[in-house]
Amino acid sequence: MAELGQAAIWLSVFSCLWAIAMLGMGLRGKNYNAILSGRNGVIGTFALISLATGALIYSFITNDFSMRYVAEVSSYDQPLLYKITALWGRMSGSLLFWLWLVTLFGALVVWTNRRASDHLSDYALIPISIVSLFFIILVTGLIEGVYNPLARFPNGGVVPDGAGMNPLLQTPSMAFHPPSLYVGFVGLTVPFAFGIGALLAGRIGSDWLFRSRRWMMFSWLALTIGVALGGNWAYRELGWGGYWAWDPVENASFMPWLLGTAYLHSVMIQEKRNMLKLWNIILITLAFEFTLLGTFITRSGIISSVHAFAQSDIGHYFLTFIFLSLVGVIWLIYHRWNDLKSPNHLDSLLSRESSFLLNNWMLVGLTLIILWGTLWPIITEGVTGAKAAVPESFFNQVVVIPGLLLLVLTGVGPIISWKKLTPSNFKRMFAKPIVLGVIAGVLTWGYLAWKGHTMPIYSVLCVFSSVFVLAAIFDEFYRGSKLRAKRQGTSFFGGLTRLIQRNKRRYGGYIVHIGIVLVYIGIMGSKGYSLLESKSLRLGETMEVGNYQLTLQDAFLEKHANYSLGGVLFAVKKNGKSIGTMRPARGFYHKAGQGDQDTIESAIRHQGLNDLYIALGPLPENVPAYVQSGEAVPVQVYHNPLVNLVWVGVAIMVIGGGVAFLEKRQEK
Amino acid sequence: MNRRRSKIIAASLILGLAMVFLVVAGVQNTSMRHFTPDQLIIHAQEVDNKGIQVDGLISEGTTRWDAEKFELVFAVRDRAGTVNVNVLYAKKLRPDNFKDGGNIFVQGKYNAAENLIVASKLQTKCASKYEAAESATVQTSGLSKSDY
Repeated sequence: MAELGQAAIWLSVFSCLWAIAMLGMGLRGKNYNAILSGRNGVIGTFALISLATGALIYSFITNDFSMRYVAEVSSYDQPLLYKITALWGRMSGSLLFWLWLVTLFGALVVWTNRRASDHLSDYALIPISIVSLFFIILVTGLIEGVYNPLARFPNGGVVPDGAGMNPLLQTPSMAFHPPSLYVGFVGLTVPFAFGIGALLAGRIGSDWLFRSRRWMMFSWLALTIGVALGGNWAYRELGWGGYWAWDPVENASFMPWLLGTAYLHSVMIQEKRNMLKLWNIILITLAFEFTLLGTFITRSGIISSVHAFAQSDIGHYFLTFIFLSLVGVIWLIYHRWNDLKSPNHLDSLLSRESSFLLNNWMLVGLTLIILWGTLWPIITEGVTGAKAAVPESFFNQVVVIPGLLLLVLTGVGPIISWKKLTPSNFKRMFAKPIVLGVIAGVLTWGYLAWKGHTMPIYSVLCVFSSVFVLAAIFDEFYRGSKLRAKRQGTSFFGGLTRLIQRNKRRYGGYIVHIGIVLVYIGIMGSKGYSLLESKSLRLGETMEVGNYQLTLQDAFLEKHANYSLGGVLFAVKKNGKSIGTMRPARGFYHKAGQGDQDTIESAIRHQGLNDLYIALGPLPENVPAYVQSGEAVPVQVYHNPLVNLVWVGVAIMVIGGGVAFLEKRQEK
Repeated sequence: MNRRRSKIIAASLILGLAMVFLVVAGVQNTSMRHFTPDQLIIHAQEVDNKGIQVDGLISEGTTRWDAEKFELVFAVRDRAGTVNVNVLYAKKLRPDNFKDGGNIFVQGKYNAAENLIVASKLQTKCASKYEAAESATVQTSGLSKSDY
């Protein structure tokens, strides 16, 4: 099977080249048969890469440990789910998976546009095929430092059992976090390709935006889910009570999300006002390049912290590809310069256009700030020779103000009028939300002061902005629904349903905004007001965190298929009242290849929106014997207020994004 | 038309400058030198009592965990194993994959006289099993957060 897969990869080089050549020639010479042949090349490439990917999955399932990649990330006793997800367990397989997605999306572009009379999608297939070709070359194994995931050990070597995937990765959220991010990253290739296609074709109206709109929404959704799953995984598995630490890997996934979000907003300006044509091309290009840049940052070893992965030559290839593709885009922009000029201009600084523009500024600005912080080690080393880095606190400090401004804009954008804000618009739409926001802000100030927090200025601003946004958006829903209900003669909820159905994109977007607000409040609570207590406890002893009392009652040891779980049982009380038990533990993995490994298996109890979170320090595997002998168990307890709003907020964002994705209508 | 334009440009400039100011202030407040243990020893006096980051390996046989005090003590060494820097990590749990000879990232305040970092943050990454066993061309992938 492995040989078949390898052959398929090599063949795909030719089918991909064929597709590029045929599409290029066909579109240039208006030769429909050549274009068709090019499309077939795209589908053929997808079929070949599917074969290669299938061959690798087959090798995982059949435990073919003569294959290096399989031996590195899988093992006999690895559960089937994780044998399959081992496909993206490491770099070589990840690249193949990425490639498979590019070719899949290429084939989908062919399929969904098969009846389109214009050839915009055929133009878009050219950049998609070029990206495919780049990844094909990476997985052939020709490049030093990246081997072909389908390669066998040299000289017929076989290992008796594979090393297995790192236990930290053997959890459902880690199984789905990488593919979700990849889908988002690769998905961004499609709107980018349509933008390039529009430049190639010389048709820089709004067509390419309409044609790629659902792709963009889809990618944004996948990125949102992917970033959130990563945070959720870190929260549940790593045992440090947090979900976001601004490390380069996280930043690499967050930056394309920010740019994608900016783009989702700026396209509306082009559609409505025929402005920002050039900006949209730049933005989608940046979003695409940042997906590659993220891979470069994390894979090249250039940020040589623990966060970065293997040092390999692959970084150079990514950097070269980024450079060449940027040169290509700039060249195209230069050639289409006159078509990219917009006939309309901003009418006023206080208008919906301006608020969208400001949103774009903030999102791109944040991206640049995060990029600057992430690359700071390279910058300092390059400029001064003395390498320096910025810690988490840099990002936390720097993003607060732009972040709060963005939050306010999520409320302003939907209610401010186009062209120019009039006094009547202001009074009608803004008065109520502002008053409600101020009341909430003052109440928050009072509450926090009463609780002993001095100067909680950011929290107060966050609550003010959040309530302002929620009031503004609910008011929009309320007014719209009432109007619909009256017109259709139905109930309020009938009106609400009609309202959303008739304008899924707009109201889906507002639902996303509601989710964003909840995420903000969750971050404010959990980052600003979490409690942490560390203590070593013996059997029967109690520790206190906030209003909670935890008593170490018992110990346990459970055997599972490929690990055992040793931990302790806590009786948990809140203000003296029993509320149940919690079972934090450590997982003990004995995998021949990796040696013994133990992991923190936190216990998390949701108390409404707050979490009580317990993690255990190092323990011997036989925890019951250890505890019975009177030894102390190192316990770390976090109380994370409002943290569940982060997850609830993301879920609402995904629902809203899903609603917006369903919009098929093309408004002109 | 021109007035509007200049207004917009002015607003953009102010925003841009504000962002730059934020970044510069942030970097000045938080930026810390980043070393390998051998370089740290050379520059020890420059960063005495300052925040630093160190990337190295957990020196074999130096790890002591005091459950009573909730304190982890170990030394971080350079790749050649010529230099040790002591690390104290108190009131926090050591991260998973913490192992003799394993990669470790330490962030904290450095005391040059005692050659000690009072760490505020530790992060590990695990080395691949095949790193030593197989030929040098075998790719070794580290892993901390999300391996993609």
